[in-house]
Amino acid sequence: MTETTLPLRWRPATTEPALVRWGLTVLCLAVLGVLLFAPLIAVFAEALRDGVALAIASLSEPDARSAIRLTLLVAAVVVPLNAAFGIAAAWAITKFDWRGKPLVLTLIDLPFSVSPVVAGLMFVLLFGANSALGAWLVAHGYPIVFAVPGIMLATLFITFPFVARELIPVMLEQGRAEEEAALTLGATGWRMFFTVTLPNIRWALLYGVLLCNARAMGEFGAVAVVSGKIRGQTTTMPLMIEMFYNEYLSVAAFTMAALLALLAFVTLTLKTALEWRYADQLAANHRH
Amino acid sequence: MTLRPFALRSPTPMPGWGLSFGVMMTTLSVIVLVPMAALLWRGFIGFGPAEMWEVVNRPRVWSALALSFRAALIASVFNLVFGVALAWVLVRYRFPGKRIIDAAVDLPFALPTAVAGIALTAIYAPNGFFGAALDQAFGLKVAYTELGIWIALVFVGLPFVVRTVQPVIEEIDRETEEASATLGATRLRTLTHVVLPTLTPAALTGFALALARSVGEYGSVIFIAGNLPNVTEIAPLLIVIRLEEFDYDGAVAIAIAMLSISFTMLLVINLIQIMSRRRMGAV
Amino acid sequence: MNIEIEEISKEFGATAALHPVSLSIPSGTLVALLGPSGSGKTTLLRILGGLEFPTAGRVLFDGSDATGLTVQERRAGFVFQSYALFRHMTVFDNIAYGLRARPRKTRPPAAEIARRVTRLLDLIKLPDIGARYPSQLSGGQRQRVALARALAIEPRMLLLDEPFGALDAKVRRELRQGLRDIHDTTGLTTVFVTHDQEEAMELADLVVVMSMGRIEQVGKPEDIRARPKTAFVREFITS
Repeated sequence: MTETTLPLRWRPATTEPALVRWGLTVLCLAVLGVLLFAPLIAVFAEALRDGVALAIASLSEPDARSAIRLTLLVAAVVVPLNAAFGIAAAWAITKFDWRGKPLVLTLIDLPFSVSPVVAGLMFVLLFGANSALGAWLVAHGYPIVFAVPGIMLATLFITFPFVARELIPVMLEQGRAEEEAALTLGATGWRMFFTVTLPNIRWALLYGVLLCNARAMGEFGAVAVVSGKIRGQTTTMPLMIEMFYNEYLSVAAFTMAALLALLAFVTLTLKTALEWRYADQLAANHRH
Repeated sequence: MTLRPFALRSPTPMPGWGLSFGVMMTTLSVIVLVPMAALLWRGFIGFGPAEMWEVVNRPRVWSALALSFRAALIASVFNLVFGVALAWVLVRYRFPGKRIIDAAVDLPFALPTAVAGIALTAIYAPNGFFGAALDQAFGLKVAYTELGIWIALVFVGLPFVVRTVQPVIEEIDRETEEASATLGATRLRTLTHVVLPTLTPAALTGFALALARSVGEYGSVIFIAGNLPNVTEIAPLLIVIRLEEFDYDGAVAIAIAMLSISFTMLLVINLIQIMSRRRMGAV
Repeated sequence: MNIEIEEISKEFGATAALHPVSLSIPSGTLVALLGPSGSGKTTLLRILGGLEFPTAGRVLFDGSDATGLTVQERRAGFVFQSYALFRHMTVFDNIAYGLRARPRKTRPPAAEIARRVTRLLDLIKLPDIGARYPSQLSGGQRQRVALARALAIEPRMLLLDEPFGALDAKVRRELRQGLRDIHDTTGLTTVFVTHDQEEAMELADLVVVMSMGRIEQVGKPEDIRARPKTAFVREFITS
C-alpha cells in the first residue's frame, strides 16, 4: 500500500491555514497575558514586595480586620437573600403562564445596565438624611445610609439578577413534568420542592450563588456611595483597598487585593469544576 | 400556551403561585423599583427637567459623559472583535493549556473591580512594568490618560462577547462551511459570508452587555484614569463628586442623563439584533 | 467526466473507515453507494468531493490525478445530508453563492448570475421561491434548493449524501424522479449515498454495495438482484 503524502496546500475544508491558526492563537494569548495575567501577577508581586511577614502583618491591623469581617457579613446576608429571591422568581416565571412576564424579566435584568454609582445614589436619595423616610429612620435610631444596612441594600441591588438568571433557563429546560408527576403521586408543595425541584437545580443554584458571592464581596462603586467610608465601621475590603492605596500604603492595599484575588481564584475554580462535571444541569448558555 | 382574555394567568395545579410571585414582586419592588422611582421622582418632580438640563449642559459634565460613552464604545468594539476571535480560538483550535485559558477568561467576572483597578495601574503607571516599557519605546503614556480608561474597560468587558459567542460557534453545522468550500469559496470568504453572519446576533448581545457594563464602570477606572476634570473624569466619578459636595440634584441630573443615553443605546442594539435575527427566520 | 478510484483507503486514527477500494465510474453514470451505516460510503463520497484526504490511493478525474486537488478546485456539486443551506441568505443568494464566490476574472456579471439562478429555479420546478429564506421552505423544497445550489457552479460531477434521508415516503418518491430527470438533462456523472436498497435499485444505473469499509459488489441493479455475490449482499438487498 502506497501512503499518499498529504500535499502542503490541502487541508480540511473547516480549518484555516496553520499559519493563521498559530498566529491567531498566539495573538489571543498575548492579549490575555497583557490584560488578564499581568495584573494578577502584579497584585501578588506588589503584596509580597517587602516580604510575606509584612504582608500578613498588614492584614492583622484592626481596620483591615474589621473590613474583612464586614465584607463577610455583607455576603452572608446578601447571598442567601438573593438566592431566596432567585428561587422564588424562577419558580413564578417557569412554572406558571401569566401576563407581563417579559416585562418582569426585563426589570430583573435592570441592575445589569445601571451604573453601580447610580445604584448607590438611589439608596442615598431614598434613605439619606435629607429624605423624609431617611430622617425618620435616623431619628428612631435606624440609620441606613452611611451604615451597614445601606451597604447591604446596594449590594442586593447590584447582585440582584445573578441567581435568577442562572435558574430560569435551567428550569425552563427541565419543564414541569417531574413536578406534575410528584403532585399526582400525592406530594405536598414543599415536599415536591425539596424532593424533586431542588435536587434538579442544585448545581445551577450553586453556580449562581458563587457568582453572586464573588460580586457581593467585590462590589465597589455602589458601596462606595452609600457607605460613608467610616473606618472600622462601614468600610468593606474593596473600600479598604482604596483607602490604603490613596494613603500610599501600597503593601497593605495589595495584600488586601491579593486576598480578594484568592477569592476570585476559588470562585473560578469551583465554577469551572461545576461546568466540567455538571454541564448538562447548568444554564444552556454556559458551555462545555 | 395561550391565556384567556383578561386572565392574569392560566389555571394550573402547580402550587406556590402566591408565595413565589409575592416574594418576587416584593423583593423586586423594594430592591429595584422603589429606588429607581426615587431617582426619577427626585429628578423630574423634585428638581425638574429644565433644571436638570441646566446642570447637564455644562462643559465639564458633557466632557465626562462623552468620555464615559466614547471609552465604553471603543473598549466594547475592541471586545467585540477580540471576543469573537478568542471564542473561535477556544472552540476550534487545540493548544496546550486551553482549558485553563478558557476558565481564566471569566477572571474579570470574579475579580473585584478595585483589585483590577490598582493592579492595572501598577503595571501601566509610568514606573510600572509595561508603563515604563511603552513610555520608553513609543513615548506612550497609558495610566492617567484616556488610553488607561480604555484598558480598564476592555478588562471589565472582556468575557461578555466570548461567553455569548462560544456556544454558537460550538453549534455551527460544519456542513455549511463544507458546502461553502465545495461551491468554490475560499476559507476567508466562508468565514466572512457564512460563519460571521451566524455569529452576529450573539456577538451583538455580548457587545450590548459589555457596553452596559463599561459605561457605568467605576471601580476599575478611577485608579488608572487620573481623574482630571474635562480630560479623564468619567461620568460616574462626577456623580460621586457631586454627592460629596452634597449637591444631590446635580448628581441626580447626571445619573438620569447617563441612564437615558445608555437605555437608548441598548434599545438601538436590541433593534439591530431583532432585525438580524428575523432575517435568519425561525430555525 | 469519468471517475477512477484506485486503491483508496482511509484511516481515522486506529480505525480503518475504508480498506483499499477501487472503483471505476464511467462518464454520465448515475451511481448509488449502498450500504449500512459505518460501511464507509459517506467517507468515500467525501474523499471524491475533497472533504477528506485519503490515507493512501489515488483519485483520477478523466484520467488525470485529482487526489491533491482542494475542495474548491474540484468543482464537485455536493449536496449534504442536512442540505447545509445558508440560513441567513435567501434562496436566490444561496444558489448564486458559488458564482459570486468566483475570482473577479471568471465571475459572471450580476445580470448573468440572476439569469442562471432563475433558470435553475425553473429546473427544480420552484420558480417563485427566490426571495424566501430556507426556514420558510418544506424539507423537499430545501433539498431541491440544495441541488440547484450545487448545480449553479457548473460542476464536473454531482455528489449527494443521503439526499432523501430526511424526507417522508411520498416526497421521497417525487424527488427521486426529480433527481433522475436532472441527471438525464445535465448528463453529469452523479454519485449518491444511500442506505435504502429500494432507492438504490430504482434510481441508479450502477449500484456499489459496501460493508465495513469494503466494496462487496458492483453491478447493474438487476444483476445484483439476480446474482448477489456474497451472503451480505443477499441479506442486505432482501431486507
